[in-house]
Formats: sequence, structure tokens, C-alpha cells
Amino acid sequence: MSSSPINPPELSSNDSDMLLVHRTVAGDQKAYGLLVIKYQRRIQRLIGRMVRDVDLVEDIAQETFIRAYRALAQFRGDAQFYTWLYRIAVNTAKKMLLDMKRDPTISEAAFRGSSEDDDETSRLDNELIAPETPETIYAAKEIAETVNAAMLALPEELRQAVTLREIEGLSYEEIAVAMNCPIGTVRSRIFRAREAISARVKPMLENQSGKRW
Amino acid sequence: MDMLNITAEQLSALSDGQLQGDAFVQAVMSACADEGALETWNTYHLIGDVLRAQDLSGRGGELAFARRVQARLQIEPLPVSNAENATYLIAVPADSVRADGVNAIKFNKPAANDAQMRWKLVAGVASFAAVAAIGWNLVGGGLGLSNNAPSLAQAPASEPVLQTSGQPGQYMLRDPRLDELLAAHRQAGGTSALQMPSGFLRSATFEPTGR
Repeated sequence: MSSSPINPPELSSNDSDMLLVHRTVAGDQKAYGLLVIKYQRRIQRLIGRMVRDVDLVEDIAQETFIRAYRALAQFRGDAQFYTWLYRIAVNTAKKMLLDMKRDPTISEAAFRGSSEDDDETSRLDNELIAPETPETIYAAKEIAETVNAAMLALPEELRQAVTLREIEGLSYEEIAVAMNCPIGTVRSRIFRAREAISARVKPMLENQSGKRW
Repeated sequence: MDMLNITAEQLSALSDGQLQGDAFVQAVMSACADEGALETWNTYHLIGDVLRAQDLSGRGGELAFARRVQARLQIEPLPVSNAENATYLIAVPADSVRADGVNAIKFNKPAANDAQMRWKLVAGVASFAAVAAIGWNLVGGGLGLSNNAPSLAQAPASEPVLQTSGQPGQYMLRDPRLDELLAAHRQAGGTSALQMPSGFLRSATFEPTGR
């Protein structure tokens, strides 16, 4: 690769979300599907902390994405898209629980301390996990173990690149500096790492496709 | 590198926000049009979620949830905040979306609180008018602009006339100007049996001690 580590300013993931939002508002409804896929797990987990009923979790998550879609033109990008979605999810869950005369299993204190820039993933260790079914627990454990095993099997440079990106949250430019390689190489290494991991994970997802987990 | 891998690498870069312009559009269109690309997009994000939080591995691993949401979206109109936005959106053909998808923000999109701002403007004008009216009265009074109006306070002090009442030892203070004023407003004030306006204080009696 011949590209230098110093490239034009790159978009952040949040900018990418904003572009998808703009594209959706401009009439490309399928672009919103990419945002749904991207955030579905985090939204379902968030709602799972408020609701015991596993089936209800998905209903509320669906309603959350529908409401977010309806209000998408009002999203201006002042906050991160997920922060905006997070609030819609909490409000939707509370309203639906109120409508159904159910009490949330987690009190308001569970949401205390959330702020504009506070990403949910940064608070994972301190948050409660909603009750899961045995199938859900098993599937989660199996996938997590597979991803971890695939990570350990990666060549060092691939593992380092994907770790810096996914866990440390560094940009390609920062990773290029840290690993002393061109940005193009960073992009290639991250892609190859993902491909190697997904080669192990995809068969599991296909096997479990159709199951409710 | 075959075509499939090129698309997958684009998706990988797209998930990290690395694509712009035509590359962004191409990756988005590929992901939306191809079921395999959608699965790849899902798997990449699943991997990222699991690496950051192991408990996310058990949620939404398959695309069924997204498909159900997409099915519900089919009956939804385009996302608009109000009628003005609807006009603005209709004016943008779907195929004219620029490569980086920023066409939508090129327009003067009305703010979500425009309606409130209009009411705030009306309230501001009303407040200003009220303050101006009060100020005009105060300043006008101070400059003596209302000198034409009859005013007891501005009238030269007149000597009260000591009049005797019918009974000895009782005196009544009479002010001629007050009498004039009361006479002029007799109709408004009504009259008493003494043919004096009854709506106002018209007299005061003084009884010396030692009566």
C-alpha cells in the first residue's frame, strides 16, 4: 500500500449515522434499515432492563424504531444518533408499560446519570441485565466464546487493529499512527479481522436463524 | 480480491464511518440491495457489539427483527416534522440525493419550534406595546402634557372658606373649586337631599372641643 498515514479528515461513526439519517429523510427508506441493524441489540438490551417479558422487549424495540423513523426529520445531529434513539426507547418503554398497567422492573435510578455524550456501552459493567431465557443465555455464551476464540486465533497485527478500532474506539488515522502503517493497511487489516471472525460466527447465526433468541 | 470482497471491505469501512461521496452511496446501495451484504453488515456490528459487551451477543443476532421493522415501515409515510417539511421533502427527488447524502441539509429546513417562535414574537410585541403605553403615560404626565385636563392637584391653592352651619359651634370648610367640580359632575355623582353631589366627599365638619 502506498497511501500515507495522513489522509483527508475521515468521518466518525456518528457522521456515518448522520449520513444514513439524511439519506432516509431524503426518501431512501432502506438506509434506515442499516441503522436498525446497527442498533437493534443495544436497544433491545436497554429495554430488557425495564421489561421482564421477553416478547414485550421486541415489541417495544420495534415501536422505538418506528417512532424514531417518524421523528427522523427532527434529528439534527446535536447529539449522537444512539443517544437520541436511547431516549426514544426509554420513553416508549415507559409509555407502553403505563398503557399496559405494568410496572417497570427497574426503577428510574437505572437511568440516572445518562447524559448527552455518555454512550451506553461505557456503562455496561454497572448495569443490570434483564432476565434471559436459557436459550438466550446459551446462544449469547456460544457466540461470545466463538468471537473470543476467533480473536485469539487472529494474527497479531489483525487482532491489534480490530481491538484498537472496536474496543478502544480509535479512528483509522489514530490506528495508523499507533501501528505505524498507512491508513489503507489499517482498513485492510480491520476488514480481514472481521472476515475471519465472521467466518466462524456466521454459521452459528445461520443455524440459529428462525429461532427466537 | 473479488467483487464480493470489495463490497464487504466497503461495508467494513462504512461501519467505521470511513466512506464518503460515491463510495458511501455505493456501499449503502449494496448493503440495501443484497441480502448477503445485509447479513455481512449485521455480522460486523454483532462482532463489534460482542467485543465491547459480551451480553450483547444474545440479542438480535439474526436479521428477522430488522425485517419486521422494515415491513412496518412500508406503510409509514416519509419522516417529516410538519407540513412545511413535507413540502420541502417532496421537492427533493429520491434519485437526486447527493453522493454523501447531504442534500437534505442544504435547504433552509424550518426549525421544529418555529410555531413557538411565532407566538413568542407576538408576545414580545404585545409586551413592548404595554411597556410603551405605560411609559407614555408616565413621561407624558411628568412633562405636563395633560395640562388641559382639569386637575385639583395642579389648581392654585384656594383658600378654604369657613362657613357656618345652622348650629352654633359647628363650622364647615368649603372649597370653592371643589364645589365647582362637584357641580360640574353632579349628573354623574347624583345629588343628595341637600342638592349636593352624593358620590364624593363634599364636606367636613369641625366641632371645637368644649362644646
